Amino acid sequence: MATDRRSPALATAGWYVLLSALSLLVLFPVYMLVLRALSNPLEYIAQGQPLYPVQPEWDVFATAFSEADLGRALGLSALVTSIIVVVQLLTSVLAAYAFAFLEFPLKRVMFVMVVGTLLLPIEVTLIANVETMRTLSWLNSVQGLTFPFLATAFGIFLIRQGFLGVPGELRDAATLDGYGHLRFLFRVAMPMTRPIIGSFVVISFLGAWNQYVWPRFATDRQSWQTVQVALRSIGSDRVDRLNIGFAAAIVAALPLLALLIFFQRQMVRGLTAGAVKG
Amino acid sequence: MTDLPGAEAGAEDLVRAAPTAPLGPRSGDGRRRLRDALMAYLFLLPALVTFAVFAYYPLYRLFWYATHRQPRFRNRPPTYVGFSQLWDSLTSRDFAQGLLHSATFMLYTVPLGLVLGVVLAVAAHRRLRGIKVFQTIFSSTVATSVAVASVVFFTLVNPEVGYFRNVTWLSLNDPTSAMFAVSLSSVWQNLGLTFIVVLAALQAVPEELNEAALLDGFGPVRRFFRVTVPLISPALLFLAIVLVIHALQAYAQIEILTGGGPAGSTETLLYKIADPKNIRSLDLKAGLSIGLFVLTGLVAFVQYTLLSRRVHYGD
Amino acid sequence: MSGVTFQQVTKRFGDVVAVDQLTLDVLDGEFMVLLGPSGCGKSTALRMIAGLEEVSDGLLTIGDRVVNHVPPQDRDIAMVFQSYALYPHMTVARNIESPLVANKRARVDADERERRVKEAAATLGLEEYLGRKPGELSGGQRQRVALARAIVRRPEVFLMDEPLSNLDAKLRTQTRLELVELHRRLGTTFVYVTHDQVEAMTMADRIAVIADGRLQQVGAPQAVYERPANLFVAGFIGSPPMNTLRGVVSPGTPAAVTTPSGTVRVADRGTAADDTEVVAGIRPEDLSVVPPGGEGVVGRVENVELLGHERHLVVSCDGHVLVVRQDNGEPTPAVGETVTLAARPEHVHLFDPAGSGRLN
Repeated sequence: MATDRRSPALATAGWYVLLSALSLLVLFPVYMLVLRALSNPLEYIAQGQPLYPVQPEWDVFATAFSEADLGRALGLSALVTSIIVVVQLLTSVLAAYAFAFLEFPLKRVMFVMVVGTLLLPIEVTLIANVETMRTLSWLNSVQGLTFPFLATAFGIFLIRQGFLGVPGELRDAATLDGYGHLRFLFRVAMPMTRPIIGSFVVISFLGAWNQYVWPRFATDRQSWQTVQVALRSIGSDRVDRLNIGFAAAIVAALPLLALLIFFQRQMVRGLTAGAVKG
Repeated sequence: MTDLPGAEAGAEDLVRAAPTAPLGPRSGDGRRRLRDALMAYLFLLPALVTFAVFAYYPLYRLFWYATHRQPRFRNRPPTYVGFSQLWDSLTSRDFAQGLLHSATFMLYTVPLGLVLGVVLAVAAHRRLRGIKVFQTIFSSTVATSVAVASVVFFTLVNPEVGYFRNVTWLSLNDPTSAMFAVSLSSVWQNLGLTFIVVLAALQAVPEELNEAALLDGFGPVRRFFRVTVPLISPALLFLAIVLVIHALQAYAQIEILTGGGPAGSTETLLYKIADPKNIRSLDLKAGLSIGLFVLTGLVAFVQYTLLSRRVHYGD
Repeated sequence: MSGVTFQQVTKRFGDVVAVDQLTLDVLDGEFMVLLGPSGCGKSTALRMIAGLEEVSDGLLTIGDRVVNHVPPQDRDIAMVFQSYALYPHMTVARNIESPLVANKRARVDADERERRVKEAAATLGLEEYLGRKPGELSGGQRQRVALARAIVRRPEVFLMDEPLSNLDAKLRTQTRLELVELHRRLGTTFVYVTHDQVEAMTMADRIAVIADGRLQQVGAPQAVYERPANLFVAGFIGSPPMNTLRGVVSPGTPAAVTTPSGTVRVADRGTAADDTEVVAGIRPEDLSVVPPGGEGVVGRVENVELLGHERHLVVSCDGHVLVVRQDNGEPTPAVGETVTLAARPEHVHLFDPAGSGRLN
């Protein structure tokens, strides 16, 4: 790429300087969060907000768990996210299979119905869904937090696209070998689309874990707040406890950081495949 | 999918290429066809029920709420007042204001987000030792949620305790700068996504094209604008649309950073719909939701037309 | 073991007729090649035997069982596909045993399964690759895995859809021999689809030539070559293709066809009447250069193609292009030279220009 005709060493050094400067720009906000999480809030302000930690309180993370109920919020988030990811995978795979491999009356209509949900994100239907939950007494419940997300057009499209990549002759071969639909789905179609399914799981996890608007309004009790919603209030009632909130934000981001590090390939593929729902 | 084979194409090839050929013969006998159809409906049921209950029924309810007046007392049923009430919602000050604020938010986040994403991607798209480290750093903000990003920016722009509390053009206390400060948190949070998508697009540009342009005597800048930008334009378009949708759906950053203030200057359309302080009537919020629905539809329409026009570039 | 019988079998896709009233007997144990240009319906015919396409009309029989409505997995057939259609995520062993596992009726116990997989792998020399995945194999090895998967179920009929077309030329020649050998060893009915006449000529017991969904001719390769039933078969089989010249049958014996560029002697005029228009077909090896002034057709040498073991003269005669196959020993005319070409009368084929059928 670097096709500079001047001194290559100088050009390389220049790129490193630029890349480092950009890294600083991206990482500075994160640094500030860590810094503020570790510093005693009042002392930090008293010292004129320097760029280094003041009176580091390393036990702030433990405090967040013990006093701010962070463990409960994380647990609820984990539960809600797991349910959403697993069920979304199941409903998407089944629906994608029907659209990719089966012929049936009203196929078009049903496909349009799936496409149509792209116009109905939870932000649009928020008010009405909250009222539904109120009527069903599902506010502050696991089903209330998960049910609206048990199926996703994005997943259906993505996995259907993967299934359509299974060669026709392979399907013929499976037919002759005596495969039934379910066996073909689980033994051939799914294993062959593993990369796409992996990407979908990662993206689905990302979306479910990061949700804010729905869990914010599908709950009105603090004990039912997911970790993202809890971030709003943890420690913000008192300035001297602000660092607990900052620490909680770090903890809330850790699972995704792990996801990014260990499943970078899947994440990149999923995001670029059509980040309809970033 | 159901098109009959054309005259010039061999029926054989078409059938072999047909993406929808089921297990078993394509044109099955009655019983097999029935069995396949039943299976398809069974497979689609969970998804379609979810969509019906939590997407389509709510849409109907939005129209219902928007055309009914809620009773003063809980024990009386709502009364139908007609579409004039929906019209009133859509011509209300709340809607106009929310729309303006959402548009402002878009204006701040979309172009800046795109440009920064391209800058990061171009900088990190080269063969250098350790480039993976930089690429990981630039992608890192995909690991942050809107809520986490908002807490991060809380440490920067909060009027009492933020690092930049004295920087006037980032002040959350000033109605003219508050939205910009909130927008920055979104720009930062979206950096990872834009970087990843643009980098992937850059990596898909064939090396020969750059080499050919080099041989044609184009300098690096002209090469970038003449060769690279046109080739990654589908990705940029895609990103622009994603960022517009993100802007329409911005909520957490506003609640956490400003609570809609100062003086309602950061109340976007969705913020007014969500209405955390519960000061608006259900029918008004339903009306605003329908407005948001229409906007979402417009974006989808634009996306569809643009993508179908540029489809030859895509992928 | 059993043969396959088509009785008036038709396959329609919407308005398009892919196979038109095909009647064909594939004998028990025979190596039958369905030969034709792409899109002619030969693959559709094969897929109907497999049960991958439904029969629109007519009767299809395997052995003595009408299989029109028998599901593919119950037909006692095995198929080798052009792309081999191996499961990319399974090992070679799992691929080979797949028909024994997936099909409820064909299921056998684990020991028997292992024995059969080993046997099939041994037959095709795949023992050392059983643990690998298809992606790690060469094209030829993949092709053999596909064959092993076919023989492991011990079918009555083997179906092959252009199984050699993804191999390079050298491997193709070698695999041809191996397939013939396999057929000899198994003694099972083979139905083999190809557009490559060399494959058809070298492997088939009998060839069925198909064009436009219709059967053109069935017969042993040599018989089809020597007595093509119509102009299509005449032009399709043989390389370079048979030369054709339009002319009029002149009265008298021995018979002759008078063309604008000269006379062609015909040993057997068949049903061709005097003074009717016919098309005379002459294979390149049946034409030879005769001294000037002799009886024959006159033309100008346009090109001489040297192939090493032989030569092809390209001669234009009044708008027709004739190809003459020459041995290296014969004298070479120069390009631009005018030559007289004579055909061996006993090897001149006469066709009806309207119906295109054979006349002699």
